[in-house]
Amino acid sequence: MSNNVSAPALKKKSVVSKLGGQKFIVFLVVIALYAFFCLMSPDFRKYSTAMSILDYSYYIALMAIGVTFPLITGGVDLSIGTGLICYSLAGGYLVLHCGWPTGAGLLVSVVFGIVIGILNGVLVAGMNLPPFLATLCTCMITRGLGSLCSQRFGISWPTAGSEGSWFRTIFKINVNGTQIPIGFLWILILVLIMAFVLNHTKVGRYTIAIGSNKEATILSGVNVKFYHIMAYAISGLFAGLAAIAYSAVFATVQPGTGAGFELEAIGGAIIGGVSATGGAGSIEGSLIGVFVICLLKTGLPYIGLQANWQQIITGMVLIAAVLVDIIKRKRAKV
Amino acid sequence: MGDVILTMKGIDKSFPGVHALDQVDFEVKTGEVHALMGENGAGKSTLMKVLTGIYTKDSGTITYEGKEVEFHNTREAQDAGIVIVHQELNMLGHLTVAQNIFIGREFKKGIGIDDKKMNEEAKKLFDRLNIDIDPNETMSNLTVGKQQMCEIAKAISHEAKVIIFDEPSAALTEAEIEELFKIIRDLRKQNLGIVYISHRMDEIKVITDRVTVMRDGGYVGTLITEECTKSDIINMMVGRVIYEDPKQKSMVAPDAPVVLKVEHLNAGKMVQDVSFELKKGEILGFSGLMGAGRTETARAIFGADPKESGDIYVNGEKVIINSPEDAVNHGIGYLSEDRKRYGIVVQKTIAENSTMACLEDYMKGLFIDKKAEHDVTQKYVDSLATKTPSVDQLVVNLSGGNQQKVVIAKWLVKNCDILIFDEPTRGIDVGAKSEIYKLMNKLTEEGKSIIMISSEMTEILRMSDRIVIMCEGKKTGEIGIEEASQELIMNMATREIS
Amino acid sequence: MKKKVLATLLSVAMVATLLAGCGAKTEEAAPAAAEAPAAEEAAPAEDAAAEAPAADAAASGDYSFEIIVKSYQSSYWQAAVTGVNQEAEKLGVKVNCTGPNAESDIADQVNMLNNAINNAPNGIGLAACDQDACLDALQTAMDKGIPVVCFDSGIPNAPAGSVLSTIATDNYGAGATAADNLYAALKDKIASATAPVRIGEVNQEATSESITSRGLGFIDKFAELATADGKKVAVVGNDYYVSGCKDKGDEASADIIIEVAVPAQTTVELCATEASVILNKADTIGMFGSNQVAAEGILTANDNLNVLGTDPASTILAAGFDAGSVIKGAIKDGKMFGAVTQSPLAMGITTVDVLKDIADGKTVADVATDGYWYDSTNMEDDSIAPNLYD
Repeated sequence: MSNNVSAPALKKKSVVSKLGGQKFIVFLVVIALYAFFCLMSPDFRKYSTAMSILDYSYYIALMAIGVTFPLITGGVDLSIGTGLICYSLAGGYLVLHCGWPTGAGLLVSVVFGIVIGILNGVLVAGMNLPPFLATLCTCMITRGLGSLCSQRFGISWPTAGSEGSWFRTIFKINVNGTQIPIGFLWILILVLIMAFVLNHTKVGRYTIAIGSNKEATILSGVNVKFYHIMAYAISGLFAGLAAIAYSAVFATVQPGTGAGFELEAIGGAIIGGVSATGGAGSIEGSLIGVFVICLLKTGLPYIGLQANWQQIITGMVLIAAVLVDIIKRKRAKV
Repeated sequence: MGDVILTMKGIDKSFPGVHALDQVDFEVKTGEVHALMGENGAGKSTLMKVLTGIYTKDSGTITYEGKEVEFHNTREAQDAGIVIVHQELNMLGHLTVAQNIFIGREFKKGIGIDDKKMNEEAKKLFDRLNIDIDPNETMSNLTVGKQQMCEIAKAISHEAKVIIFDEPSAALTEAEIEELFKIIRDLRKQNLGIVYISHRMDEIKVITDRVTVMRDGGYVGTLITEECTKSDIINMMVGRVIYEDPKQKSMVAPDAPVVLKVEHLNAGKMVQDVSFELKKGEILGFSGLMGAGRTETARAIFGADPKESGDIYVNGEKVIINSPEDAVNHGIGYLSEDRKRYGIVVQKTIAENSTMACLEDYMKGLFIDKKAEHDVTQKYVDSLATKTPSVDQLVVNLSGGNQQKVVIAKWLVKNCDILIFDEPTRGIDVGAKSEIYKLMNKLTEEGKSIIMISSEMTEILRMSDRIVIMCEGKKTGEIGIEEASQELIMNMATREIS
Repeated sequence: MKKKVLATLLSVAMVATLLAGCGAKTEEAAPAAAEAPAAEEAAPAEDAAAEAPAADAAASGDYSFEIIVKSYQSSYWQAAVTGVNQEAEKLGVKVNCTGPNAESDIADQVNMLNNAINNAPNGIGLAACDQDACLDALQTAMDKGIPVVCFDSGIPNAPAGSVLSTIATDNYGAGATAADNLYAALKDKIASATAPVRIGEVNQEATSESITSRGLGFIDKFAELATADGKKVAVVGNDYYVSGCKDKGDEASADIIIEVAVPAQTTVELCATEASVILNKADTIGMFGSNQVAAEGILTANDNLNVLGTDPASTILAAGFDAGSVIKGAIKDGKMFGAVTQSPLAMGITTVDVLKDIADGKTVADVATDGYWYDSTNMEDDSIAPNLYD
């Protein structure tokens, strides 16, 4: 991004910060974690395990890309987890029980996500509700709506091979018996697009500006309300895309679930360098952070740790990430 | 001075319960620097907010470039060429300099933003202002002075014809102020109209062509700067004459005991091997340029920032201070330069603020003894002459000077004998200033000892018994008031360190 | 301010419209979905409830019952609710079905139970999410003289006299049924194995009696069969199951290791991760998922591993529990060896019957409904097909 950093500025920066600062370190952590689990468990080294890690990372990665925007504005979006399930249930219900084509169902998931995202934005930017509170409310609302949309029953999207199951190949294709995780390619492309949006378009610029100093941004004559709402709409859009990923990877979507997904996405973003108080952060960082979470989630059972430990360890990693953020800000102040 | 570009006539504005502007007249000519003066609350900022569309006026007319105008928001005012450089810097720390300057009107390239062109345009602006700032540097990495330059660059990038400076020098060092004046003179040469709001009398004489004075929301009069004296202006502002003569000699007995001794204090880059003594009943001035490490030294002594090494003795006894709590227990109180952030809780009452540091002394069992709290607060409201209808008033409703008195009361209630005043009169109007000075003198007469950090030379010379000068984290001089002069202090504060 | 309110109203309206659209379709589609299986099932399921009640339907028209299910998460409950509604209509009684959003919403369910008690119905049918959380409410119900019938899961510690009847699958037996069939298929492979072999089980936290007893039933039966053939069995993994089974054995000397994995939450991706750990082990020959989510987790894990099948020589055999389109499809495709299904429909019907019997003043006893083994060979049979809900 900083293609024309002047010479004196360069001198001040360390090697690590030139390579992307926290992102780079977290990237090393991801590699170290993968190497560690491979060392500890022969089964973890298998191609199929890597495939599983990728499969189960898509929906978290997509949520993390989206939620990075509200986080950078200094807010948060807690509705993406239950929202994801809600959007998938709504779309799936139309496909399974109302005879809609699969594509239309998926589109409904995405549009539903955008609508809830805009609702969040209006509550936060238009009516000045604290983001935590506003999105906690929509979190509950989407949880209930999801059950309502599917008549409270689980939804099984068409399974691989059956009619209307083409969307499952969006994320994984089978070439001569080998599974190719093309979903990761889409994630990378989306990361590139959204990194461009964050760094080189007005939406992204004002997202950072709002997180840096909202009052000053208003005084600069920016239509802050609109761009603030946009940040939440993007979060909603990606929750909708995450719903597609979830539907495509897992067989059955159950109402009432989804609470907790948002914490994995937000946690990943924070680990990846999004400041807990807004202003700073990057899309690629959030993606890398998500892989820390996903590696722990998949890897810990492989080294024989009982499942509850995974939550404890993930929580501790998050505390570490937030501490790093606090220390960074303290240093910047001096 | 050229033609009149902007005329405000009979401007009236009321807020619930306050008549903020009462038939105010004001005009700006091209190629002039027009000072707008008045005590805090006189209505200067309100007038400028009406001009730039942040507030809507109740009545009156604004004529700009021969046409009657009314702006509905800052954007409209900007587009017309009237821009304001705010007192609190409106910077977006996470964005670059160029991104800050062009926020809200980015150059577009396709669907994206053309950062390259923005950097080039910013560079051009800086060239025009003769300042050297890298447009691609992140804003938060710049000094306050540089950030202000960026604000000015942003202002002129609007094709501004009228620029309003709202207390631009408040956070600047002497050197930075010089640079600012150079820029303002340049802009004047380019035939812009400039409104300059400031409390600093000496600046007014140096930089402005005319002075308009406001008092209590009303228009008092306009003077040609060259033809008036400082006391003329002050008289118009407050209706009374204030003398700002330097102190002639130390008021402290030579054999007064040392109450605070700091030896070889180290705390990061900003505090290197600082040693000094404070005597009973003394006002010890800490002078130096912005960033000399004075506040950092005070914070390290107070335990607000970690120390690396060094010893502190209170009344001859070595003490360990690792937190503000320790410092307060040893009778040291700290009045921060940033009152709103560190000094007081503005949404609480005077009484609640006053007893905050020693609430445990005002408890009856589990509950706060409201009566005792009221009594002690009333005592200090009276003795400090804090202007308030009652001790139950919310601090947010007090003026800056009176807020400062509440902070002082807080430490007096706690029985602190050593008080560190960090920029005690920043943002306080002239009348309240002299009251704070009187108060400080009274405190030392009562046996309290004061460390006063100040960037205002007149304040240092007027109040201190002895002066410590710092530069880039080191103590570079210590002089008694008898030998002190502005030149000597400046010399020490800018000394090259080998 | 007006603008803000308007904007908000507008967005609420948008959501509402979307929902209304969804809801409208839902209403016309739901009965269709419910009726389809009902019609088919009518024949076999009704032999429990004879034709006689038609006559006394008019007399019992005033009865109203509250039915509280564990959740609506799986189609299992859909079938149970269908059974309840079907029988209620036939008997001419009023029923009101509720249930929390997820089986883990224990507190929500207790609330619903208390609300149900406040409605003072003629009886309550309860499928408890948690064995202990409902005890106080049951006491209240007893004090108010409201009879309670438990279905699907029993409440072993219920205050004496509060639960008049428990209608449940013999879960321990159902788990054993899975073990019977899986062992039969794997018997030769176990007999000829030169090194220890591994059987995996994905289960859930020990909050529900029904699912834990399935797990234990599977473990105990499998061990019993293997021991009879002279093999030594050890149980490893989750502490609850290791200490709860009859004989945990010794891992070092065992010929067969039964490994029990329990994810932190019963969600499909966590079940899948746990399942893939076991499926990845070279000595694994069989798997058991003790409910629909766990079984689907095993199938999800297999998406990437591709090790499941029906031939014990070259693949791992997986047994599931319950039905649903995913599990049925996998069994049809030969990915899953087979599964045990309960008869939720009959359970729903029986629950209403028992409630009415109580209201009529008859004495009732516990009813055990069966678990049926099904695989690709018998899923179309008349005795099985009606219980294979989607």
